[in-house]
Amino acid sequence: MAMDRRTFFRSTAGAAVAVAAMTTIDMRAWAQVVEEAPVELKGSLCNVCSSHCGMYIHVKNGRPWKVTGHPDHSRSRGKLCPRAHGGLYWIYDPARAKTPLKRVGEQEFEQISWEQATDEIAERLKRVLDQHGPQAVFYGHNPRRSGVVYGNRFMHALGVNTIQTHNAACNTARVLGLAHTFGSSYNADWANSDYLLFIGRNMGEGIRTSTALAFGEAIARGATVVCVDPRLNESAAIAEWVPIRPGTDMALLLAIANVLVTEDLYDKEFINTHTIGFHRFERVLPQYTPEWAEELTTIPADRIRSIARGLAAAAPAAAVDTGWKGAFGAAYANSTDTARAVAYVNALLGNLNKRGGIRISRGASLASLPFQAPETPTGPRGDGVGTDYPLATGHGLPHLSMEKAQKGLVKAGIIRHHNPLRTIPDYDHMLAGYRSLDLLVVIETHMTETALEADYILPEPSFAEREEVIEATGPSICMRTKAIEKVHPETKSFDEIITLLANKMGVGRYFDFTLDELNEALLSGQPFSLADLREAGSIEVSVDQPEGVPELNTPSGKFEFYSQRFADEGFNGVAEWYPPETGLQLRENEFRVVHGKQAYHSHCATANIPMLAQVTKDYDTNRVWLNAERAANLGISDGDYVRFTAPDGRSGEARVKVTERIHPDMAFAPGAYGNRTPYFELSEKLGGFNPHDITAYRSEPIVGHTMMSELIVEVKRV
Amino acid sequence: MGRVSRRQFLKASGFAGAATALVTGTAAAQTVSPNLEGTSENGQNPATNRMAMLMDNSLCVNCHSCRLACQNENKLPVTEKYIRFDYIETGRFPNVKRLLNRHSCMHCEEAPCIGVCPVNALEKGAEGFTHTDFETCIGCGVCLHVCPFEVPVISEEAGTGKPKMYKCNGCRHLIAAGIAPACATNCITGAVQYGTWDEMRAKAEERVAKLRATSPGANVYGIDEQGGLGLLLVLRTPPADYPHLV
Ligand code: SF4
Ligand code: SF4
Ligand code: SF4
Repeated sequence: MAMDRRTFFRSTAGAAVAVAAMTTIDMRAWAQVVEEAPVELKGSLCNVCSSHCGMYIHVKNGRPWKVTGHPDHSRSRGKLCPRAHGGLYWIYDPARAKTPLKRVGEQEFEQISWEQATDEIAERLKRVLDQHGPQAVFYGHNPRRSGVVYGNRFMHALGVNTIQTHNAACNTARVLGLAHTFGSSYNADWANSDYLLFIGRNMGEGIRTSTALAFGEAIARGATVVCVDPRLNESAAIAEWVPIRPGTDMALLLAIANVLVTEDLYDKEFINTHTIGFHRFERVLPQYTPEWAEELTTIPADRIRSIARGLAAAAPAAAVDTGWKGAFGAAYANSTDTARAVAYVNALLGNLNKRGGIRISRGASLASLPFQAPETPTGPRGDGVGTDYPLATGHGLPHLSMEKAQKGLVKAGIIRHHNPLRTIPDYDHMLAGYRSLDLLVVIETHMTETALEADYILPEPSFAEREEVIEATGPSICMRTKAIEKVHPETKSFDEIITLLANKMGVGRYFDFTLDELNEALLSGQPFSLADLREAGSIEVSVDQPEGVPELNTPSGKFEFYSQRFADEGFNGVAEWYPPETGLQLRENEFRVVHGKQAYHSHCATANIPMLAQVTKDYDTNRVWLNAERAANLGISDGDYVRFTAPDGRSGEARVKVTERIHPDMAFAPGAYGNRTPYFELSEKLGGFNPHDITAYRSEPIVGHTMMSELIVEVKRV
Repeated sequence: MGRVSRRQFLKASGFAGAATALVTGTAAAQTVSPNLEGTSENGQNPATNRMAMLMDNSLCVNCHSCRLACQNENKLPVTEKYIRFDYIETGRFPNVKRLLNRHSCMHCEEAPCIGVCPVNALEKGAEGFTHTDFETCIGCGVCLHVCPFEVPVISEEAGTGKPKMYKCNGCRHLIAAGIAPACATNCITGAVQYGTWDEMRAKAEERVAKLRATSPGANVYGIDEQGGLGLLLVLRTPPADYPHLV
């Protein structure tokens, strides 16, 4: 047997583990020959959430049996979150999409060949483009490299520029607010900060593995970590919890700014040199006293003062974390301006690019592609971005698209690895939209809610069975590699599918390369080859980090307290307080519904995974939380079923957890449950309430996000 | 090169010329335990020392990643888990605390379960953990009756239908290969650690000294209990608050 270094490595590692494993319980049932099989470690990327943490997939006899964190990946740092371990189930999940499918009735499909599927899709897509133009077509995905490189290229080749992601139901308000102040989204330097203020962000439950580690390390090292959240979430449980009335985070931030300015605790040098519009902000600031904010937020004024002083004392090694989805990603009518207020406080702390403050961090870069690229279309988009919503981001407005579909303006869509029917508020609205289309193609591994509305489902191999476009993640250059052979031979990876479709659509010239050629091109100039990277899974390279305050990516090149862009579009030039659209007044039986994550589930994608569903079941965690005193007043006890009724009359039922751990105004619904695809049988058995079923379709005025927490319900015991 | 870790392999296999551009041995990577089959990064055999796991409950975000990594590592059926949690919610809104404690085998130095097992299925490893010989175990449950911490769980084994006792086995197979237990390697906040008993005790005491500033009741559990525990706990409040501690 020829033995290269790779096989040498495999067999050495395998032999050692087999000996060790002989004595353990777990290998007991395996035949002797199985025992002696080598274990291969395949460096790859997780796919159970969009962080794509680096992992090793441990493969024995062609079957993956565990995953471990990749030490050279900046998002895993040798560890993996709970979902990664459960995600192995996806590979052999009976709910996989296994062959190309054509819709023949409601949720009824027939198997067809790739040839037939791509011929028919191309013909129907051409018809839509001919009759209605490129604006009538959209592409939706969870934006990661393969999806961007292949999907966007294909769309551009067809003249389509309506490319959408999940962001309007995630962090688009935050992104826009930071873009119009700091010029871009920066992260707090958790590793070196002495005082961290998290608002709604919950790093122990909304996990990217390395940030949970940074969070734990900050606490272990003795940094002051304050978590503002209406709910005593699992991060707040190990830090200092400051409960707040939902929807009032901006009031807290403005009051902190007020204290910093009135007590002369801010960085004047930074304000004078690197910002514009401070004097306009100063003029609106006096009204935002801690006492004023106490009324709105229910946080005692003295606590607000102590937070402001604590931040100032630690500055510049202090930061208000810039959040993600949490409290101001896409929650309320005031979320975009809340994100600007986060930026204001950081500017006052003068922490930009300072150790322990807010850091602009540069990541590894990959070479640009040498292949002929289509022109980026410049015509108007089909989802209102740039027209109905001039400030909206390029991530698009999929919910608005579905309104346009109902009006006959949007006719066809391709969706990949993304389940907007279940994860965007207002199921009925989204469903009506998809059902109005002439053509919906869903490229998926699983029979999701969205897939079941497709005219054609094109099946992809699971994360462990396919290779993808190389990613640069922080300082890590990494790639998904093929750990095992395809489980379902009729599946095809995204690059293959798009190349096939492009050829049928007559734009194959833009795809005149293989995935390997593309990946090799991306690595040009690196001191390692594609084979090296495939072997390693992830390689960390050194990247120079900028020091000092650079020119910012804003119209003025400086930090903007005042935004002329906002003013020109009729919004507040300086962020000023206003309440959520649904107001702050609640009647005796009314609650604001806010949903959020649990560590062991990813959105609505994992409640069907037995190991993860078992955690839910063991600890009875798919209940909706209600405040103990308010529940008692309504005669509701722990474990009761209640009915939530929205203003438009739609309602849903849920079991409740009655707890002291939540603000009286809020009902907290864990967001992982309530699958409506019959293919997710376990999830169906587990049950659970999904607030998107009763949240009304609407768009926030500035960036057009989905305002996921603008839902006030009446609660009644059933 | 009898044993070689993947990292060492990479370093040795062609990146030497590019060493300046590559950071293959980052500080962060070195702080985590290696989790590579059949390899030992530090080259020593820890099994000759008295070892311990440290569970710092004050750093745990209740994510259950340790439990799930353990289930895969030990190929447990979906319903069996070696790591469970006890929760305590105290106070009234807004002055509420959520405390928790990992409930799993404490690896008692003086382990009553070992002596009572009628088929001698339980034994002490050189590192001090209490190991089960799953083959031999008849699932009689006598150990459960003497365990001070109510750890053993008796369940029917899938397939054979035979009763068996399930409890943390201290990742015996990993430790034998010089690798930290899966729960320690994987903990996403650094709440679970693994090292010599003395090191873990020192770490726990250092942490408790810090914690006392905000949690005056903070303490290390397991230094003297049952002759010393192989699973040391950092608790924010007195042991009496937790249902399975004695
Ligand atoms: S905790 Fe219970 S099962 Fe574990 S060693 Fe002690 S007595 Fe035995
Ligand atoms: S030591 Fe191993 S068997 Fe015990 S709980 Fe940790 S991972 Fe599970
Ligand atoms: S992995 Fe760590 S943080 Fe998560 S539950 Fe286990 S001990 Fe707690």
